Amino acid sequence: MILCMGTTRHKRLDRAQPSSKGTARLSRAETAGEGFGAAAYIAFAAVTLLTLLLCVCAGSVRIPLSETARICLQAISGKRAAQSDTLAAILLSMRLPRVLCVALTGASLSLCGAAMQGLLKNPLADGSTLGVSSGAALGAVLSIAFGITIPAIPLAGTMGMAMLFALLSLLLILTLAYRLDYSLSTNTILLLGVIYSMFVSSIIALITAFAGEKVRHITFWTMGSLSGSGYREALILLAALAVCGTVLLCSARELNAFALGEENARHIGVNVRRVKLTVLICVSALIGVCVSIGGTIGFVGLVTPHMARLLTGPNHKRLLPASLFGGAVFLMLADLLSRVLLNPIELPIGVVTSLIGAILFLCILYRMRRIV
Amino acid sequence: MKRFRVSVLSVMAAAALLLTACAKAPEQAQTPQETRTVTDMRGREIALGGAPVTRVIGLTPSDCEILYALGAQDALVGRGEYCDYPAAVVSIPAVQSNYELNTEQILALAPQVLFVSDMEPSDERLQALEAAGIAVVMTNAHYEIDAVYQGIALIGDVMQKEAEADAVIAQMQAAFDALAKKAVQQGEKKTVYFEVSPLEYGLWTAGAGTFMDEIAKMIGAKNVFSDVEGWSEISEEQVLLRNPDVIVTIGMYDGEGLTPAEEILSRTGWENVTAVKNGAVFNLPDNELSRPVPRLADGARMLYDFVYGNDAA
Amino acid sequence: MRLLEVEHLAVSYGKHEIVHDVGFSLEAGRWLMLIGPNGAGKSTILNAIAGGIAYTGVIRYRGQDMRTMKPGAFAKGVGMLAQNHYVEYAFSVAEVVRLGRYAYAPGAFSRPSGEDTAMVQKALALTGMEALSSQAVPTLSGGELQRAFLAQLLAQNPRVLLLDEPTNHLDPLYQKQLFSLLLEWLHAEEGRAILSVVHDLKLARSYGTDALLLKNGRTLANGAVETVFTKDNLNRAYDMDVYAWMNALQRPWDETEKA
Repeated sequence: MILCMGTTRHKRLDRAQPSSKGTARLSRAETAGEGFGAAAYIAFAAVTLLTLLLCVCAGSVRIPLSETARICLQAISGKRAAQSDTLAAILLSMRLPRVLCVALTGASLSLCGAAMQGLLKNPLADGSTLGVSSGAALGAVLSIAFGITIPAIPLAGTMGMAMLFALLSLLLILTLAYRLDYSLSTNTILLLGVIYSMFVSSIIALITAFAGEKVRHITFWTMGSLSGSGYREALILLAALAVCGTVLLCSARELNAFALGEENARHIGVNVRRVKLTVLICVSALIGVCVSIGGTIGFVGLVTPHMARLLTGPNHKRLLPASLFGGAVFLMLADLLSRVLLNPIELPIGVVTSLIGAILFLCILYRMRRIV
Repeated sequence: MKRFRVSVLSVMAAAALLLTACAKAPEQAQTPQETRTVTDMRGREIALGGAPVTRVIGLTPSDCEILYALGAQDALVGRGEYCDYPAAVVSIPAVQSNYELNTEQILALAPQVLFVSDMEPSDERLQALEAAGIAVVMTNAHYEIDAVYQGIALIGDVMQKEAEADAVIAQMQAAFDALAKKAVQQGEKKTVYFEVSPLEYGLWTAGAGTFMDEIAKMIGAKNVFSDVEGWSEISEEQVLLRNPDVIVTIGMYDGEGLTPAEEILSRTGWENVTAVKNGAVFNLPDNELSRPVPRLADGARMLYDFVYGNDAA
Repeated sequence: MRLLEVEHLAVSYGKHEIVHDVGFSLEAGRWLMLIGPNGAGKSTILNAIAGGIAYTGVIRYRGQDMRTMKPGAFAKGVGMLAQNHYVEYAFSVAEVVRLGRYAYAPGAFSRPSGEDTAMVQKALALTGMEALSSQAVPTLSGGELQRAFLAQLLAQNPRVLLLDEPTNHLDPLYQKQLFSLLLEWLHAEEGRAILSVVHDLKLARSYGTDALLLKNGRTLANGAVETVFTKDNLNRAYDMDVYAWMNALQRPWDETEKA
């Protein structure tokens, strides 16, 4: 047998030469297991932390580094800031919680994008392209328009509705997609996502038209903003990411299988139905929380996983953590730009992400075409 | 029956106008009375015909408000859907405005004159209305007080309420002058931050080129964001840095939870802002400083009171 | 030992029933060929056994209803090689093959065992994919791709192989290598069996021990290859004289050989 393959292998190697690009990128995985080692995680955490520091130090109001250090040290040592310390208030009550919220949102959206792209074997899948974000927005708008709240917990009404509608939208779109085209091809899903998003935005417009007094609320809400988010929002985001993110990170092997195709995943023994449902629920919950806190922010979930994939290859054991950290860094930097570019005017963060994201995405598409 | 006759008449009038326009017939022959013309705020000559103007539609909230202020409200046969002041205006039939401008709705009400702000986007539809014989008068959308006077005078001209318009303008001028004079006596120059939208949606403020900015200057206060052009989203940090003495919000209270002023007072990190420390956070409840209308004088008075206190000399 | 048992299998797409009341069984050490014209329902039967589509009737693996089996146990018993593969992302061949061991260590943090690594190496070696193991899958040719997934299947090490037209992308050399490899695999251990859809009747006749001849979703003949591959059966299935056609194809070769 081996003998008879001998000639074959020779021929094979000739063919393999021109595509050495693919080889180089993946050879590392061969030797060092599939996931990242501790060193890689430390590096990721360091980059994220440095970005966080940069984003806390820089902003609309220029605060000297020495002042920043003093304020941070005071805060850490538990001393109350002086009553009239405006810089401390800016740093600790505004910038820090906002940057934390931005980082957590970026990490969540990017992780969701990576998971969806794997699960659906579709490189263009993302909360915004699939209409999940619009669905979440619809849920939140409904809860504002009809005053759906949970009395004991503030924000819970909007958030719960956003999560519920994110999940319902995802299920609806996937059901339709499976009906139309069982292989879930890229085009079918994207087409449905675009149609659904347009449908939802017209429904939101309709609700706005009938909402009367609350019109201002809703129109502003759909614009979305992470400015003014505090530690409470950061804590909610962190909790959601801790729960759903962990589940997603633990599904890396299953997502690898799905990325090769749902059929193949079933053949090698993946509990296809359970994994799919778990991932979809986690993704919807995360997107729901993000949208209800920061509005819809496009392109993060689409672009960062692609950039991460260029670095780490498609294996989700490396792709998911890389996307998590990459998303945080990307959105923090985008937010920094939105804060300082036209100072004192602030740009909506979605404008910045779409601007950068669209250009980056074009570059990625172009590169992908060239490699394959 | 009467309404029917009026609309027939106006259709005939429209047809006549059309004919004159098309055939360029000598005007003297068609109109025995003297034809009035006005120059609107976009500098166009508008022919109004000889008859007094008795049927008008005001599309912009400010148009309706000025018509009421001039006592010409009886001529209002329609209003733009966002017109809400004074309260009585709501009972007048509403038509869609702005991007939803609906020519059929307007034609059905058979107005002689249509007042639109020169911000209205749809020139083609306005041309269609003009072609149908409706005099389309562009009113003010410039956010400076001199332009407001011009707008009031223009509407006064069209409605033949020149005397009333002069009186309204004089009143406004007198009010502003009095405030400016009083303000000179106030020693220190206070700083004001105007908030247009609450933090939850991103902070929007009124910068240079707004009534708020101009009137703040007039009463001897300083808008902390006068370096920003128009209405803009600004950084929360900058509000803290610029530390205003007074905060004025135009947020509407929807009857639930905190009022706009209470919400500002409760913000974390704002405790050290002078206005918050002193409780100098006020709410302008009803667009007093956002529309080009006579009520600007009321708004200016309110702002003066906010800045210098109610019992100020 | 009876590995697979299929009873009263029926499959419908929408209102159309495309497989009607098919039944057969697969014993250890046997290679059952599913043959028949296009649209006979061969691939559908394989997909039903692999759990990919809904069906009525009963399919048992070693006596257990496959509907009640856990995915992991299922994958250790029955593995399938699909007809077409399309990979969107640049996984390496080794990563694809390693996924074949999923059923043996499905935990999120489980590390590959020595046996896992050994099985992966062996599968790569058997399929001649060792040299390409770090190659990105989307850059492979059709035949290489087929062998990468065959390696995954061998690493999965099920008792029963379901093969949907395994020679589809292969030139004659690879066809020969593949069938020899499969035959070797079949007899390397006790308790293995193969069920495959094969279009090439000569290949099917030479390598199969048994055959199931289908037409329009119904069984025409079922049993040992000698009893199924009769002139009469094939003519009925394909509505043509299959023997004459194959002889006609063979004649020029024989004549060249003689000359």
